[in-house]
Amino acid sequence: MERNKDVLDKSLEIPVVELRHVEKYYGEMHALKDINLSVERGEVVVLIGPSGSGKSTLCRTINRLETIKSGEIRIEGKKLPEGGKELAELRTQIGMVFQSFNLFAHRTILDNVMMGPIDVLKRPEEEVKKEALELLKRVGVDSQADKFPAKLSGGQQQRAAIARSLAMHPKVMLFDEPTSALDPEMIQEVLDVMTELAHEGMTMIVVTHEMNFARRVADRVVFMADGSIIEEAAPDEFFTNPKSERAREFLDSINRH
Amino acid sequence: MRELTVRDMLYETPGKETRKKTAVATVVSLLVIMVFLCYIVKLFSESGQLDSRYWFFFTKLTTWKFLFEGILGTLEASLLAGTSALAIGFVFMCMRICVYKPLNYIGIALVEFTRGVPTLLFIYFFFLDVPKMGINLPTVWRISLPVAISASGMVSEVLRSGVNAVPKGQREAALSIGMREINVFLKIIFPQAVRYIIPALVSDLVIVVKDTTFSYILSFPDLMQNAKVLISNYDALLSVYLVAGVIYILINYFLNRISVSLAKRSGMTPVVGR
Repeated sequence: MERNKDVLDKSLEIPVVELRHVEKYYGEMHALKDINLSVERGEVVVLIGPSGSGKSTLCRTINRLETIKSGEIRIEGKKLPEGGKELAELRTQIGMVFQSFNLFAHRTILDNVMMGPIDVLKRPEEEVKKEALELLKRVGVDSQADKFPAKLSGGQQQRAAIARSLAMHPKVMLFDEPTSALDPEMIQEVLDVMTELAHEGMTMIVVTHEMNFARRVADRVVFMADGSIIEEAAPDEFFTNPKSERAREFLDSINRH
Repeated sequence: MRELTVRDMLYETPGKETRKKTAVATVVSLLVIMVFLCYIVKLFSESGQLDSRYWFFFTKLTTWKFLFEGILGTLEASLLAGTSALAIGFVFMCMRICVYKPLNYIGIALVEFTRGVPTLLFIYFFFLDVPKMGINLPTVWRISLPVAISASGMVSEVLRSGVNAVPKGQREAALSIGMREINVFLKIIFPQAVRYIIPALVSDLVIVVKDTTFSYILSFPDLMQNAKVLISNYDALLSVYLVAGVIYILINYFLNRISVSLAKRSGMTPVVGR
C-alpha cells in the first residue's frame, strides 16, 4: 500500500491479515482454491464476486469460523491457532459483523456491547458501560440501549452489532455481507457507519454487493469467482477497466439494469 | 404494536360470514355446556351428593387448614421434584449433545429408560428397595426423587429441542468475540433455549405436580393424602375430591401464568404459548 510506504515503524510492515495457499473443501466441492491475500494495517479490502464464489467462506476462515484444509492464515504474523484458549484470544482481536446481525437475542443492546469486554476481557463494568454507551452513540443507536434486539429495525441492529465488535478494540474487522439482509432504506445508514470507520483508519475486510461502497471506500477490490481470486486492483481501475474476462462479465451483469 | 398470537398465525381475520357463524356456534356450545352442567348437578342431587353432610365440614376452618397443609406438602414435593427434574434433565441433555460419542449413547439410553418406565415403578423402587440398601431418604425425597427421575427424560428432550432451536449465528457471534465454547453454551445458547421452551417445560412441570399425588403411597402429607384423610373422616368421597381437583387445577393454572409472564419479560417471543 502506497500510503503506508513512508511509515517507518517496522510493525506496520507485517500484514494484519495474511493468507497463503489456502485451500478449502466442502465434501467434493472445492470452495477455496489457492487463496493468497495480504491486508495491510488501515487498509479497506472489498471482496466481490458472484454468489457461490467463496467470498463469504474466505471471510469466515480468517477467524476460523470455517476451517481450512491446507495453507496458512496469519494475523499480525501470528499463525491462526487451531482451537482452545489461543484461538479464543486471537478472535477477540478480529471483529466480525454478520449478514443476519446475530445480536444476542436474550440481552439488551447495551448488554450485547458490554458482554465481550466484561465476560471475555474481564474489564471493570463501570468503565465498559461508559465506553459502550459512547460506542452506541457513535453508531447512532444510543437511544435504543435498553431495548432487546428484536425491537430494533434491521439497520439499527446491524449498527449495534458493529458497536459490539468495536467494543473489543479489534485490529481488523470482517464484514460478511453486512447489508444483504437489510431493507433498501436502511442500507445507507449502515454503510455510513462503515465509511466512517474506514476513514478513521480501521483495517477492514468487507464482503459486499454494494458496488458504490466498494468504489468510494475500498483501497483495493478483490474479485473472486469459483473459489479463486481472479483479480485484485484499486477500485477505479477495477470498475473502469477490469483485466479479466470473468470480472468484465460480472460487472456487465450487475450494470445491465 | 399488538403482539402476534398463535391464533393470528394460524387463521386469517374472520370476515362477516365467519363472524356470524362463530357467534351462532358460541351461543349453541354455551347452551350445550350449560345443559350438561345442569344434568351433572341433577345427577348429584338425585344421588344425594349435595346433601349437607358431604359439604358441611368445608365451613370449618380446620378443614381448610388441613387442606392448606396438604397444599404446602404438594408444593414442597413439586418444587423439589421439579428442580431435580430440571437438574437431572440438564445433565442428560448435556450428555446427548456432547461431542464425545460414548456419552451420547449413554445419554440416549438414560433418556429412553426414564421416559419408558412408569412413575409408579420408580416410586416403589425408592419406597421398597432403596431403604433395603441401607439408604434412608427423608420421606419428601422418597416421592420427589422418583417423580423427578421419571420426568427427567422428557425434560432433557425438551431442553435439547430448545438448544437446537437457537440460530447458529448466535454461537458464531459469541465465538467471534472470543468466548470459549463452554461460555457460549452457558451464557448465550442455553438461556435462549430455555426461553424458547418455557411453555413446553411448564407442561412437564405440571406432570411433575400431578405425579406427586402418588405421595399417598408413602403417607407423605400432600394435598392428595390429606384429601384422603378427610374422605375417611367424613365419609365424603366426591365432594372432597372435587375440591382437591379444583385446587390442583388452580396450582397448575398459576404455574402456567407464571411461565407466560416469564416468557414475556424475557423479551423473546415463545415458540408456542398465548
